Amino acid sequence: MNNRLKVLRAERSWSQQDLADRLGVSRQSVNAIETGRYDPSLPLAFTIAEVFDLPIEAIFLKDGATQ
Amino acid sequence: MSADSETKGGVLGRGPVFWGALFVVTMFGGAALSSFALEGPAGLIVRILPMALLIPLVKAAERRGRATGCVNPVIMRYNRRVLFSSFGYVLGLGIAISIWNAYEVDRVTAFALALLPTLPTFYMIWAMGRYLVEETDEYLRYRTVRAAIMSLGMVLTIGIFWGFLETFEVVPHVWAWWVLPVWAVGLGLAQLWMKVRGE
Repeated sequence: MNNRLKVLRAERSWSQQDLADRLGVSRQSVNAIETGRYDPSLPLAFTIAEVFDLPIEAIFLKDGATQ
Repeated sequence: MSADSETKGGVLGRGPVFWGALFVVTMFGGAALSSFALEGPAGLIVRILPMALLIPLVKAAERRGRATGCVNPVIMRYNRRVLFSSFGYVLGLGIAISIWNAYEVDRVTAFALALLPTLPTFYMIWAMGRYLVEETDEYLRYRTVRAAIMSLGMVLTIGIFWGFLETFEVVPHVWAWWVLPVWAVGLGLAQLWMKVRGE
């Protein structure tokens, strides 16, 4: 699964640690999700959507989908 | 104290690598000394003393973790529980072996002696399970579970193969309590493997 986490974070000038603090997870988690090494659970995906104030489908995209 | 100075400062100015290396060297040195040169209480003390180095090791690791934002209260609790059980294990094992070597014990006493090093390892296993329950970061939990399953696979593979080699008298007998140290080594190797692969 692809995601726009890095772009959205950059738009807000947040570091990975900033986002991790907002989500209540470790910086490693944010890094793993951003780089596609880990797909978050549905509850965490909803929290991410809440933090960015966007629908989930605007952040996470199916493999092969254009961003 | 700033995060930077905490990272550089460590415990007595040393980092976790220093204390870890010192622990390994003194553990092997103590084990060799007590096996070949020292017997009785002196041997037990030489075996137990290196365990004290685990305290600055854990403290230095936690200090570094706090400074780099890589440690959370759950991991710190887990470290302390494992440290406590390690002390109990070494102490229990030392006392059990000392009594076993010094006295002729009946079956019931032997059962009680076997429990001395066993109970702390039960606590250690409980601490590992408790970590998975308490860890709220799903990615860290996923990594730990994955490493644990890889390590379990290693223990089962080695155990089955060794068992049949033993059946056909190719290798000597190995006591079953080795499963825990082998699993712990496997856990470390699995985590290293994931790190190298960038997982």
